[in-house]
Amino acid sequence: MILRNNLKDIRQKKGLTQEELGSNVGVSRQTIISIERYRYKPTLELAMKIALELNVKIEKLFYFV
Amino acid sequence: MKLSKKEISILIEIVYSIVFALIFLPYFYENHEKNLILMNDLIEKIIQIIICTIIYFTVTYSLLEVAFKKKERRDERDDMINSKSYKLGYLLYELSLFIFMGYLCSKLQNKELLNQTGNQELYDSFVLTDGGIVFVILLVLGFISVIKSSYQFYLHRTL
Repeated sequence: MILRNNLKDIRQKKGLTQEELGSNVGVSRQTIISIERYRYKPTLELAMKIALELNVKIEKLFYFV
Repeated sequence: MKLSKKEISILIEIVYSIVFALIFLPYFYENHEKNLILMNDLIEKIIQIIICTIIYFTVTYSLLEVAFKKKERRDERDDMINSKSYKLGYLLYELSLFIFMGYLCSKLQNKELLNQTGNQELYDSFVLTDGGIVFVILLVLGFISVIKSSYQFYLHRTL
């Protein structure tokens, strides 16, 4: 099972930049880039913060393939 | 290739380790056959190292602050990268210390055996000075520091 996410799509639909999202959830732009490119798996805390910020359920944002 | 503030600060550390090795290690190599107490200007050299280090980091980090006015936040990804690179550095340090201790023990044992044979010339060639030990430890520390920082830089670029 590989962890994937819809972060880029959802973020773009909400009209947020990587910098803005990062700033809102307390991480750097590089961290958001890494998550979107599946290079970095965020902690549960960060994943929850991102889901809350984007107002989506965490299982919609992160999923296994 | 555009580098972030964190990546540049890692490069500053790598450059420091290399410059330190090139400028100050030859002094310890030249004196590696002496004991620390017999080394010429050792205190002066240590003061020089401390002053150069303070000046180098003050100047480079000040320039970095001027070039990157925006403060970069430190987050969980940075912590993960740091823990991975420091773990590698620590393992390498442990390993090299283990090898070096083994080398010292074998040398001491050989020296004792040579003492029994009465071959004075060979016995003298096995002289082990604290200057030599300091040189090897500094060399190992510099080498590990470069590897640790390079790995940190690599993780910042690829993760």
